[in-house]
Amino acid sequence: MSGEAWLFLLAVLVNAVNLFLQVFFTIMYSDLEWYATSITSSPRLGSARLPGPGLPCRALVDYTNPIDLCKNLNKYIIPEAAVHGFLTFLFLINGYWVPLILNLPLLGWNANKIINNTHFLDATEIFRKLNVHKKESFFKLGFHLVMFFFYLYSMIVALIRDESS
Amino acid sequence: MSAPPGEGYGQFPGPDQGQQAHPDQPQYGEQQPGSPHDVAAHGKKKKRGYAAGAFDVGSGANAAVGGQLQGANQFGIPPPQQVAPQYGYPSNEPQQPAAQGYQYPGQGYGAPQQQQQQQQQPAYGYQAPEPGYQAPGVQAAGVPGAPGAPGVAGLTQGMGNMQIGAGQPQQQPQGQAPRAAMNQLYPTDLINQPFNATELDLPPPPINLPPNSSVTPSPDSNCPPRYMRSTLNAVPTTHSVLKKSKLPFALIIQPYGTLHDDEDNVPVIQDQVISRCRRCRTYINPYVTFLDHGHRWRCNMCNLSNDVPQAFDWDAASQQSVDRWQRAELNHSVVEFVAPQEYMVRPPQPLVYLFLFDVSYSSVANGLLATSARTILDSLNRIPNADRRTRLGFLGVDTSLHYFSIPKDSDENAETSQLVVSDLDEPFLPVPHDLLVPLSESRQSIEKFLQKLPEMFQNNQTNGSCMGSALRSGHKLISALGGKIVVLTSSLPTIGEGKLEHRDDKKVLGTSKESALLQTSNSFYKSFAVECSKNQVSVDMFLFSSQYQDVASLSNLPRYTGGQTWFYPGWHASRPEDALKFASEFSDFLSSEIGLEAVLRVRGTTGLRMNAFYGNFFNRSSDLCAFPAFPRDQCYVVEVAIDENLSKNYICLQAAVLHTTCNGERRIRVMTLALPTTTTMSDIYASADQVAITTYFTHKAVERALGNGLDAARDAIQSKITELLQVFKKELGGGSMGGGIQFPANMRALPILFLGLMKHVGLRKSSQIPTDIRSASLCLLSTLPAPLLMRYIYPRLYSLHDMPDNAGTPDEETGQIVLPPALNLSSEKLVSYGLYLIDDGQNQFLWIGRDTVPQLLADVFGVQDRKEVAVGKSRVPELDGDFNERVRAVVQKSRDHRALGVGSVIVPHLYIVKEDGEPGLKLWAQTLLVEDRADQSVSAGQWLGMLREKVNY
Repeated sequence: MSGEAWLFLLAVLVNAVNLFLQVFFTIMYSDLEWYATSITSSPRLGSARLPGPGLPCRALVDYTNPIDLCKNLNKYIIPEAAVHGFLTFLFLINGYWVPLILNLPLLGWNANKIINNTHFLDATEIFRKLNVHKKESFFKLGFHLVMFFFYLYSMIVALIRDESS
Repeated sequence: MSAPPGEGYGQFPGPDQGQQAHPDQPQYGEQQPGSPHDVAAHGKKKKRGYAAGAFDVGSGANAAVGGQLQGANQFGIPPPQQVAPQYGYPSNEPQQPAAQGYQYPGQGYGAPQQQQQQQQQPAYGYQAPEPGYQAPGVQAAGVPGAPGAPGVAGLTQGMGNMQIGAGQPQQQPQGQAPRAAMNQLYPTDLINQPFNATELDLPPPPINLPPNSSVTPSPDSNCPPRYMRSTLNAVPTTHSVLKKSKLPFALIIQPYGTLHDDEDNVPVIQDQVISRCRRCRTYINPYVTFLDHGHRWRCNMCNLSNDVPQAFDWDAASQQSVDRWQRAELNHSVVEFVAPQEYMVRPPQPLVYLFLFDVSYSSVANGLLATSARTILDSLNRIPNADRRTRLGFLGVDTSLHYFSIPKDSDENAETSQLVVSDLDEPFLPVPHDLLVPLSESRQSIEKFLQKLPEMFQNNQTNGSCMGSALRSGHKLISALGGKIVVLTSSLPTIGEGKLEHRDDKKVLGTSKESALLQTSNSFYKSFAVECSKNQVSVDMFLFSSQYQDVASLSNLPRYTGGQTWFYPGWHASRPEDALKFASEFSDFLSSEIGLEAVLRVRGTTGLRMNAFYGNFFNRSSDLCAFPAFPRDQCYVVEVAIDENLSKNYICLQAAVLHTTCNGERRIRVMTLALPTTTTMSDIYASADQVAITTYFTHKAVERALGNGLDAARDAIQSKITELLQVFKKELGGGSMGGGIQFPANMRALPILFLGLMKHVGLRKSSQIPTDIRSASLCLLSTLPAPLLMRYIYPRLYSLHDMPDNAGTPDEETGQIVLPPALNLSSEKLVSYGLYLIDDGQNQFLWIGRDTVPQLLADVFGVQDRKEVAVGKSRVPELDGDFNERVRAVVQKSRDHRALGVGSVIVPHLYIVKEDGEPGLKLWAQTLLVEDRADQSVSAGQWLGMLREKVNY
């Protein structure tokens, strides 16, 4: 296997990790939203999952509590951006211009957020910005999905080239 | 049996336990404005009508009348100038139907005999409008199903008041009830008929519910606007109509109208029988329907039928059955339930106040420490302590933490000791006990300590403050119980955790970079706020610095913990006005009967969703607002989204505040508002409440100012009003030609209120406003109750030199001081020989024109020469003359919050301003004249001209 194949194999793996992270993010956001709507708009679900009067009420209040949610998700934000940045850097030093250009917009987006210190989720504002966060998460998910197949294709092409040479 | 959560802790209505006497019954008659006694005063016929309705249970109700009555009583007794027609509207266009049409509360207390006579069968519950609402010419026999019935009652909107409560059985499904007559739309031209300042006192358009909406004929069955008001008193049935109208649908919720319970007549239901819908957890309210011979009730929100609890008709105290129809929750839209055990997470917490005193040099020098210690000492009796569990703690802060260990009174030899901790990185509690002491047990030691406190630090030369670390330690001290941390400081936190920098820069004021200064500079103030909220700790900030204090950062703690930021710029105890203002406000603040560990939730008819919440609290989930302490002087805005089409002809919204009272009782305050639905745009516009709409957009603007900057906030306000005017012109303006702008009479003030908002000190484009002042005013804009907010945006201007003879004297009927008519805020209204009062609720300005006659000054100020009148913070001296007395009465009355139906601790400063006096003060007073052209903003005329151009081209 050549260096090119190894590089793309690494890219596939890293990308898979990011893909899973975004799925996780999306699920957590939906969970936070779903909890609320389940109680108010579709009460059937609401009553079904509630314990009886004997249980401590604290459990009723904090299903998906925004404080813990933010704390949880914030752990993954920097690693995700860092791993993605590292991958982009590898493309740069190895001179793979096409994947580099494809990755630059996301790199810029992440860098911009970190520079402005807005990358972390804020528990006090999470409900007002939930839609924005969800949208962002969806876009990233789509991007990673496309890139996943792109890397996979590139890896296979590299392997075939190895075989034939 | 499982049950969805109520206010988070909710359970199914528990078995009635801990039975107490049922005090509602005796109180019932006396408390309610519309109760038989009250009504009887207006005429015996009225009483008969009411009685017939009240006791013939199966017969109809007249819910709309309830709404009307509340409207009239919104601000207590309507001041006479609202009633007297000569002030009501500009007298130059009396022929305008609109101007008259909108005057529902006006036109005196015409006896409704005419309608009474038309009642053929009073026993069947035909009801005339409440006294106070004129409905001349309206035929009582009008068909209830005719919306807007043209021709009949052409001139007045009293039409809407005429609900015919036909004696239908209450079992009738709600969906089939006939629609109520809607408010008429009266377009007016904003340019030819300028808005008049007195219109702001008018109640919102009446809520015209279909007849028999409520299960009892009580006049209190719909929520008064004082507690909860909607931006739209007629709700569109679909999301698309709402979107097309461009109007917001939001609720303005102010659960408490006073600082103390005894001033507020809300029925308390003591018997712990709390009947709630099994599915949506709605509390039983006047809009449910009873089925199965009264054994079951159908929820008015989700239509599920529920069992009526057995104890509902049983008074366990007297061991006999009670008349269900007398129960307060079926007669009153605002009630308070005493909650059983199921609503508690832990035993009700005691009231805890932890005071963080700034003891550094700056606080000693400006007298803050001495004044605040003295005020607490004097207010010890006023701090709610009915259950004798209230605890107090004190902590001194400079560059180290000073704990005070206060012994119990019974412990005779013990002395209060001071314990200094200077390790700020890992602050620890020096002793485990006596730092937070029960007021009842240590009363004398606390008094002794407070007397000594100023002396202890009078020679303190330390500068700097570790307030962040102090907050952290204070939190540690009370987090097990929860409670309030009261910060009294005149320094910027400079060391330890949460330290702030002096980032104020005069050069960036007025530029786009200014917005960054309005945001938090240290994330500690957000993360710590969240932590406080979690542990039921609320923070109040009393800030006094004469220099930059970073109010923007510090105000985050109150914002997310249900507290408030009080800012006293340049405060100094040596000025009696300053000392008096703070002492009086702080004492009222301490005496206020706040709620503890509270949560607020709003429920609505299926199809409605609470979309966004604004106010000082933390959103624990997307529809649950958490308040470690629930203040009584703030209001909250809840935006409602229409998710599904509404099929009923009226909808309900219910706000519930689950809280622990300061004497250890768990209670739920429930407010239910019913609103009719409509499909037409004209009904929506005719029933829009301009005060509520302005309150909503104020909250939006503050949020935008903090997030996206001041320019964005101002642009949003301007584009919104343009959009509204355009929509109205396109959809409803119809054949109006010419260069005017058409807008409904009930929303006439909106463009000027929006102008006032854009020119408000919190949002105005200017390079002169210090950031701290801006931040503090943004805090007020997002918390003030609607009546006070209106004054803050559009201050009151009263002309005193030519006030009518009865102004400043008690009204013969009500005993309330009569205020002169309010004038529009334009310098055209000021004559050079006049004396005026400008009042924005936070400051009052007594404006003395340049040519005032010496006699006027002699009468008011007791001086011979105008040079002797001192400008600045002052008072009106007490003289013997009649005119002086009246001026003082007007000044006093103008700051009377209770008459406005709100609780507030604010005591405004009175500034005396001479037109030819100190220019700075004069300029400040002039910025309140929002209809004038100023600095970088437009006058009302230019503003309307601008809007006209945008709308017409």
